[in-house]
Amino acid sequence: MSLRRIRAVARKEIHHIFRDRSTLFLVLFTPTLLLLLMAYALTVDLQDIPIAVLDLDRSEASRRFAAQITAGNDLTLYAQVESPAEIEALLVRGEIKAALIIHPNFSADLLALRGIPLQIIIDGTEPESGGFAVQHVGRRAEAFVTESLAGQLQAAGVPPEALQAVDLRVRTWYNPSLKPRNDLIPGLLSMILGFPALSVALTLAHEREHGTMEQLMATPIGRWELLLGKMVPYILVGLINTIVIPLLAMAWFRIPFNGSFPLFFGLSAIFLFAILSMGIIIGVFMRTQAAALALSFLLIFFPGFFLTGIFFPIAAMPEIVRLESLFLPGTHYAIITRGIFLPGIGLDVLWPYAVMLFFLGLVFTGVAALFFRKKLA
Amino acid sequence: MNEASISAQNLTRRFGDFTAVDGIDFEVHPGEIFGLLGPNGSGKTTTIRMTLGLLSPTAGSVRVLGIDSARRPEQIRPHVGYMSQRFSLYNDLTVLQNLRFYARAYGLANQELAMRTSQALEMSGLRGRESALTRELSGGWRQRLALSAAILHRPEVVFLDEPTAGVDPISRREFWDLLYQLVAENMTVFVTTHYMDEAEHCHRLAFIQRGRIRATGSPESIKQETLRGRVFEIAPDDPVRAVQLLRQAAGEGRMPLAEVELYGERVHVVSTDPRLGEGALRAELEAAGIGSGPIAAIPPSLEDVFIASMKS
Amino acid sequence: MIARIASLVVKEFIHLRRDWWLPAFMLLGGALELLLIGWATSRPITNLPLMVYDQDQSAASRALIVSLENTGTFDLLRQAPNLDAIQAAMERGEINAALVIPPDFSAQILSQGGRPALPVMLNGAESVSARAALQAVEGVAGALNERIVVRRLGIDEEAFRGFTPGLRVWFNENLKESYYTTPAELGLMLEFTVLLFAALSFSRERELGTLEQLLVMPFSSLEIIIGKSIPVILIGFFDFLLMLGMVHFVFDVPVRGSLALLLVLALGYLMVELGKGLVISVVSRTQHQAFLLVMMIGMTDFMFTGYAAPVESMPRAIQLLANLVPAHHWLNILRGVMLKGAGLDVLWPSLLALAVLGVLIGGFSLAFVRRALN
Repeated sequence: MSLRRIRAVARKEIHHIFRDRSTLFLVLFTPTLLLLLMAYALTVDLQDIPIAVLDLDRSEASRRFAAQITAGNDLTLYAQVESPAEIEALLVRGEIKAALIIHPNFSADLLALRGIPLQIIIDGTEPESGGFAVQHVGRRAEAFVTESLAGQLQAAGVPPEALQAVDLRVRTWYNPSLKPRNDLIPGLLSMILGFPALSVALTLAHEREHGTMEQLMATPIGRWELLLGKMVPYILVGLINTIVIPLLAMAWFRIPFNGSFPLFFGLSAIFLFAILSMGIIIGVFMRTQAAALALSFLLIFFPGFFLTGIFFPIAAMPEIVRLESLFLPGTHYAIITRGIFLPGIGLDVLWPYAVMLFFLGLVFTGVAALFFRKKLA
Repeated sequence: MNEASISAQNLTRRFGDFTAVDGIDFEVHPGEIFGLLGPNGSGKTTTIRMTLGLLSPTAGSVRVLGIDSARRPEQIRPHVGYMSQRFSLYNDLTVLQNLRFYARAYGLANQELAMRTSQALEMSGLRGRESALTRELSGGWRQRLALSAAILHRPEVVFLDEPTAGVDPISRREFWDLLYQLVAENMTVFVTTHYMDEAEHCHRLAFIQRGRIRATGSPESIKQETLRGRVFEIAPDDPVRAVQLLRQAAGEGRMPLAEVELYGERVHVVSTDPRLGEGALRAELEAAGIGSGPIAAIPPSLEDVFIASMKS
Repeated sequence: MIARIASLVVKEFIHLRRDWWLPAFMLLGGALELLLIGWATSRPITNLPLMVYDQDQSAASRALIVSLENTGTFDLLRQAPNLDAIQAAMERGEINAALVIPPDFSAQILSQGGRPALPVMLNGAESVSARAALQAVEGVAGALNERIVVRRLGIDEEAFRGFTPGLRVWFNENLKESYYTTPAELGLMLEFTVLLFAALSFSRERELGTLEQLLVMPFSSLEIIIGKSIPVILIGFFDFLLMLGMVHFVFDVPVRGSLALLLVLALGYLMVELGKGLVISVVSRTQHQAFLLVMMIGMTDFMFTGYAAPVESMPRAIQLLANLVPAHHWLNILRGVMLKGAGLDVLWPSLLALAVLGVLIGGFSLAFVRRALN
């Protein structure tokens, strides 16, 4: 293998990228734009969930309760409605995600310690907002009951805290406020930094589609030299983004970074090698860019998004998918990034994932190189 | 000069049921322009790919500079240049970027790289247009640039697959002048073409058809050996009707004619049987009431040979 | 004109047949991928590794552990011998949650006025799992609390339950995950398929130099656009049918509204996406550029489909932007017709928005593409 020839290929690829301003811009800045998009739209804290309130009691207590429920940023009072039919209409139209019905005997039952007749209706098509509303209403109701009934309970000889016997002390480590952004952004780095893999798949198919591959094969450039040379510019792009993206995430979105930056940089380089190798495999097998692109979406993009445990925990997936996810570089990288960003763990813990990534990269590139010669024939 | 630059023995390639190259043998000697002449789909590109080791033969073997192409293609690469059938430089790179890339791919560096790319610019006549995008060059310039790129590293053998397809006649002439220059510098040129006039420029030819070599030798000897019949030029009163008549005669099998073609006011007739003489032609025409005018036997062109062979 | 358009359509399909990978992968591969992704993600969050440090070792503590396991949310990894073990496991990401049962746990339960403490640690490095774990732990703790309070105060269980709000779930009574994950996943894959096909239509011919040839042939630019569009729409619509069938028959997601309405609206939506794809196609000089633009636009759109976060929770400016995204309205329609049984009387605002966007995008793309072609 000759370093000089790898450099020749890499230099040529860089010329291709720099040839066209808009390609250069898109290749360099797509990761930043993806980060902004994802941070602003995909990883927001649940808040401002629109709900409707149907107050059938119309007492002072019920009004106070309704006001307490919708105070703050969590739930927003979308409409004060008069009938269940209106709730139905709003839910069907998707204008509210949940509705609170305060029954006619709310204040009477409450004061007589007969319970708190409340009902919550949620939209099961977007249960995240609904579930959030249920949790929120439950907590507020509890507080409201304890607060309004303090007098009565005291009189009945029951201390208010007696209703709450179990002392559940939840502590969330590494991300105390459970802000989804703090772990989703590090998790999504595999998508953000890894997307040039699709470009690599395209450039290989490009050589075939334009007939330049045959010419390349007649030169002394070896298979490995060609494949590695193709990867180099995109690894460079990836490494630039490996510095820019975390800085942006930390400075702009206040994502905590508790680990070692050199470690993050080094392991990211290994990840880039692995994910770009996936692109290389696809590029080696497909003859046209369109086909390479279609396959990249199916093998790199969609699985990378859904099956690497970023949004949905791998532990809860079926056995076969769990096995498959081991072959996706994003799975291991998500563990690495979350581990370095939040608990700030080191190589002593992360080395198996790094080894796995390196192994995947070698296997993918190896398979690509193995089949490369045959495919030209 | 004793050992052949390229030698193929029983070289065969099948794609499924289709036999693209069917047991061909040929030798190319150092310092000559060897042409592989044949119609489209006759197996020229497949042969060149096997010779370069880009495609493995189904049977037989081919050696370049004494090295087996199928077994050790990587040993051949540094010593050969290749210009593939499709335009093979990068359209979105400049002239200089393309040249430099190929120079580096062949391991050139520093002063040698600068010197060779400079020579290539000189040779292709593109000095002063180094930073032009390759896609903006016209066909003739591109071919010359591609040739310059293919010989940047001074290969011992250069392979050219239909190098002048789609290029205007003047550019073609200039391109061939370049090839003679290379041969003068002791390079061996292996070229495929389906242009007859171009084939006449080669030192030696192999005429390939449906995967088989029909004839090998100098253009002159091919013409003499391959075409068993003769070529006549007739100047009849009514050339259009004469052509119709003779074609009909050939079609009905009454006359052994491979080709009847109108050239201006004259009719070219290629016979496949040497026994067919002027008399028979004259009789055929005059029986239909056409004045035959003078009929002369003329030396066959490669094109006549080519067409006669395809029809037989 | 019809004959000329037909000849273009035939040409496009010949391209596709030669390159059969593309439609085959996008259609069958896409449907299979939806099957895999839907299968993997349409399930309750279960098997989260849990560690318990049981200092009490009593019947009560063992019962608590069993009830945690019975939620299905957790998979008891092992008992921890000490707090350090929990710390280490959490750091390695081996567990999502840990529970410490203090030595006086059962004693506190039994004594009148005792407050059994339950320290729980969650791994915030995986917030989705942490939230599921929190919910499960709160449920178990609530049940325990209820038993204790009912016993101590001597009140009956019904009365106590009265203090927790009653819950009713509409449109998805059993809270099946597939009802909300698969339509969004379908939406994402459909959009990318159509955008990609449309975006490659002209950029590919331009890059390969065949566009000039097409332009000098006796086709009007409108004919070329229609000829390019028909295969994209056909493939997109077929893709939609395939994925809809999969979502319905494999994942049991109902179509409660009118199927005919859904199909007609799907066709409309595809036309809007097609318009976007065609604009990308003519502004891109290479397929690589077209891909990068599809990536950006497709991802932007996906943010507004409500897959990971409800649009209502996003910053105001972004909510306004959501209205400009056809996929946002399309997902409203898709969910509305499938799950809510909504008809035009309810969906008209989404439909109107889609129509307005369609006219704007379609008109712009037609004018723009025509100009680019001329």
